[in-house]
Amino acid sequence: MQTRPYARSRPAGSFELYAWLFTRISAVILAGMAVFHLLYMHLGMGVEAVSWQLVAWRWQNPVWRVFDLFLLTFGWLHGANGMRIVIEDYVRPKGWRLAAKVGLLLLTFTLIVLGAYVIFTFKA
Amino acid sequence: MAVISHIFRDVTYRGREGQIAFMLHRVTGAGVFLFLTLHIVNTFLMVFPAHVFNSVLVFYHAFVFKLVIIFGLYLGLLYHALNGIRIVIVDFVPGAARYQAPLWRIQVVIFLAVYVPTAAILLARML
Repeated sequence: MQTRPYARSRPAGSFELYAWLFTRISAVILAGMAVFHLLYMHLGMGVEAVSWQLVAWRWQNPVWRVFDLFLLTFGWLHGANGMRIVIEDYVRPKGWRLAAKVGLLLLTFTLIVLGAYVIFTFKA
Repeated sequence: MAVISHIFRDVTYRGREGQIAFMLHRVTGAGVFLFLTLHIVNTFLMVFPAHVFNSVLVFYHAFVFKLVIIFGLYLGLLYHALNGIRIVIVDFVPGAARYQAPLWRIQVVIFLAVYVPTAAILLARML
């Protein structure tokens, strides 16, 4: 069978291999957790019911805090790694590519810190 | 013209299930990523007094935004999740790569079986 020229297969390098593996492991976890989260909030709770008060009540249970922390870190890192691949595929000029990757890294740092901060420190 | 032929070539390159699945996976992934950015920022607003968070939630409760959730976020997230599982199967189950196309067709059937009734319930809730 002819090898496809543009398709990425299992990478050999160390970082790329771990990124590839992380994407797949987190994919299986997120497929369950993220779809559950959306259906729980929109089908179970109903989006009209969502308010500061509801989230505060939900976060009284540490299990939900851990759940949300998992979604935040796994979801964001999975997405950011995907965007990194997309940048490498489509942003060809070296300067722009570097700028896009630095921007993505800063956004990753900022959002994970913001999200983790509120999950850990929130008091009703 | 060059742009049109370029897009046409991108869309039809090799074509068939594999490429359609690949394109949809990228588009839905980028869409969910975009929403996640917004969603983390709006959740962070929990640190402020209740009225700050709730005033942003008015946006989520708007009719148009609910449609965006049902026909954008939920559709994209569910497709991305199911296709992601298909990719994991193709990558890790020996011999499965040969069946990526029929696996995609099965995945589309599962997608429709899950999406159509749940989206219908979500839509009915809006009325």
